[in-house]
Amino acid sequence: MLKFNLSNHLLVGSLVVIVFFVVAPNLVSAYRLELLTIFLINVILAQSYRLMATTGDWTLCHYILMGVGAYATGVLAKMAGLPFYVVMPMACVVTAFVSLLFAIPLSRTLGFAFFIASFALGEFVRHVWLKFHYPFGGARGINGIPKLEIGQGGEWYFIDFWDSQNFYYFTLIFTILALMILFRIDRSRLGNAWKSIYSDRELSESIGIDVAKSRIMVFCVSGFLAGLAGSLLAYQIGSIDPHNFEMVEMVYLIIWCVVGGVKTFWGPLIGVLSMSVVFELTRPLAEWRPALFGLILILFLVLLPGGLETLPARIRAMLNKTSKQREAG
Amino acid sequence: MTVLLELKNTSVFYGKVRATSSVSISVPEGQIITLIGSNGAGKSTTLRMISGLERPQEGDVLFEGQSILSLPPEKITGIGIAHVPEGRRVFSQMTVMENLEMGAYLRSESKEMARNLDLVFSHFPRLKERVGQYAGTMSGGEQQMLAMGRALMSNPKLILMDEPTLGLSPIMCQEIAGIIKEINGNGRTIVLVEQNARLALALAHYGYVLDTGEVVIEGAADKLRENGDIQKTYLGLD
Amino acid sequence: MGVDTIVQTFTNALVLGSIYAMVAVGLAIAFGVMQMANFAHGELFMAGSYVVFTLYTLVGIPFLIAVILAFPIVAAIGMVFERLIFRPTRGNVLAGFMATAGAGFILQVLVGQQWGVGLMRSIQTPYPGSTEILGAAISYQRLLIFPATVVMVSGLWYFLTRVKHGKALRACAQDPEAAVLQGISLNKMTSLAMLLSGGFAGVGGALMAPIIPVTPYMGHTFAVTAFIIVIVGGMASIEGAVIAAFILGFIHTIVTTMYDSVTATMVGVFFMALVLIVKPTGLMGRVKV
Ligand SMILES: Nc1ncnc2c1ncn2[C@@H]1O[C@H](COP(=O)(O)OP(=O)(O)O)[C@@H](O)[C@H]1O
Ligand SMILES: [Mg+2]
Repeated sequence: MLKFNLSNHLLVGSLVVIVFFVVAPNLVSAYRLELLTIFLINVILAQSYRLMATTGDWTLCHYILMGVGAYATGVLAKMAGLPFYVVMPMACVVTAFVSLLFAIPLSRTLGFAFFIASFALGEFVRHVWLKFHYPFGGARGINGIPKLEIGQGGEWYFIDFWDSQNFYYFTLIFTILALMILFRIDRSRLGNAWKSIYSDRELSESIGIDVAKSRIMVFCVSGFLAGLAGSLLAYQIGSIDPHNFEMVEMVYLIIWCVVGGVKTFWGPLIGVLSMSVVFELTRPLAEWRPALFGLILILFLVLLPGGLETLPARIRAMLNKTSKQREAG
Repeated sequence: MTVLLELKNTSVFYGKVRATSSVSISVPEGQIITLIGSNGAGKSTTLRMISGLERPQEGDVLFEGQSILSLPPEKITGIGIAHVPEGRRVFSQMTVMENLEMGAYLRSESKEMARNLDLVFSHFPRLKERVGQYAGTMSGGEQQMLAMGRALMSNPKLILMDEPTLGLSPIMCQEIAGIIKEINGNGRTIVLVEQNARLALALAHYGYVLDTGEVVIEGAADKLRENGDIQKTYLGLD
Repeated sequence: MGVDTIVQTFTNALVLGSIYAMVAVGLAIAFGVMQMANFAHGELFMAGSYVVFTLYTLVGIPFLIAVILAFPIVAAIGMVFERLIFRPTRGNVLAGFMATAGAGFILQVLVGQQWGVGLMRSIQTPYPGSTEILGAAISYQRLLIFPATVVMVSGLWYFLTRVKHGKALRACAQDPEAAVLQGISLNKMTSLAMLLSGGFAGVGGALMAPIIPVTPYMGHTFAVTAFIIVIVGGMASIEGAVIAAFILGFIHTIVTTMYDSVTATMVGVFFMALVLIVKPTGLMGRVKV
């Protein structure tokens, strides 16, 4: 039998996926392409959320952090008129900074209190957007965010990202970058240290991990990437308002991570992918759709805690058990 | 002599970790049986298994000749097994009276309740003076009395006591020991878990010594007291 | 600021605090017993409003009876949550909380499909008119809420301190394992807790139905505030929840009078963050149920 090296396996798999995403624009309609772009943004979002979850800190403000990135993009690009290569890094940094402001008080709380307190802080920020017409536009938000372009019309290197296909590739590059960073973190000593916080807080303290500091750091890194997702979103849809970042959206993000699982790097990817497919397939359900997703969330939490990523192991365990029983019986 | 409770080769696991293995114990009606052994030997686990808080992966637990493994813990209380848990576990934000009422949760018919209350107060006159006091504000010894009184309120046939003298002053230990004897004298069977082996063997009729989850020695209490090994290991004598 | 404004603000705060108390107490009971955190508590509140809409506006049953009926009807929904969600996820607070988020979606959709999505239902007040206290006009409908809350909360207090099953509920909140050893069934207690929790949310929603816009999504803001309140109050503490409800009711009303409601919400959230930072266990964090 051929012996597969795991990392080769991964490499080949990743390449296949990347090739698919590179050729995809030629295979699908413009509408589908927009969906694919949103899918990629969601992948960044879910993956950055998973980073938080590896330390055991589930938050309820990740969508708000994405919103911070989006609002920062809106303000910087529209009001300050800055080009995207200045706006995007700044949006990420601003989001990381807001994350820091969140994380400092939050790191004093744990578990459920952490979850709820993060929600309250998020709502605070959302109300800031609602309240301050300048610069956030109040309830109407920011419209007419300048489109993304490189160079100007007529120049040979001009690229207009208003074009769906161009923007799609633009997003794809950032998604791959973000995933590579997150993958490296996941496999690094730092990543393992963070995970150990989840499995045993006291033990990690005793082997010299500064738990509070680590949690704050993870929060900031995760926020940085949520900011990236938000910035891309702002450029893609061109207008944002506080309703884009409501609790409902956060619940969908949780659904992806619950369905896929967060223990492994692949969990959220499986979650976003499967739920995006379900979302598209169930368009005919129209207004019943939220109920379906609610049901999915319940079923997974009750019947398959750990998500789809744990399914193979579960099936294996079940098969083992039955075969053992057969041997015994 | 009829056997009230019988454990047959019971083993309990916490996850994959074995806490007790193949423990067999027989508790005759009307006696005090003691389980002694050092910290972590599996004494509490055994009691918790009897009252249904833990499930044995192997073996069986018979009460009055019937397996009680399928019963949930609240039903096990109902058939006449009361458990005075390790660390007393009184309801600290409830009054003494309320704690006793909780003990009688399944026996709340007012006549029976009054009778049980009288009985408890006869064993523990101190509780009677403090019916309105919050349990959390009482001393350790008083809380222990309350926990025992609460167990008596269900009018049990069998009482499981997990380290009732832990952390108490010598005088209080003596007092509690006297009351255990008294309760047994009224015809109630008791399984007493103690680290204080000397006291336990003085009270009990029969004893089992547990070590890392297994019964290593068993015998009549006075025989065990004379046993050299036990003296060395558990009674601190050389 | 004239006397009338002060009286007006004070009564408004009292009314708002009352309704917050009614909603938050339900959350605190459920959290106190086996840490059931109900994300869909706001949807139970909404269900209470729709009970009044259906029974009072559509069927024509007297308002007060509809309000009273909201208790068992919404309590039943609460018990379904317990059986299908909290019981299987016991021991994992977050899982129960997230799963009830799903249940909230389902309730919203069901109500929306039955009575219209996003459509505001207008419910005529059964008690038109208002009274004047020192120059401030206070409608009877609003005024009703304060005594109703006093009755409900006193009733709850009586139940928890004088009735056997109520005491058992407190015992369970303090030490579930010790409670089980007394013969108290955990499943019955969690069910009872969700019954009360749902009932309180339902009556809250029912009383508010003639006052606020009734839509499938109306519960959200109330749930947010209720969660802030129970956290400020110390999660499982009923006294804490009541005290915090009135504190937040006053903060919200005063800030709304002086500025606007968005600012008021921000101040409320800020207050909660402050409490968490200074005393992570909440105001009454030590005192359970
Ligand atoms: N909840 C638990 N989870 C895992 N292991 C446990 C648990 N409770 C007890 N143990 C282990 O089971 C063994 C027996 O413990 P216990 O019955 O409490 O001993 P004893 O009461 O004799 O001191 C010990 O090794 C202890 O570490
Ligand atoms: Mg022990």
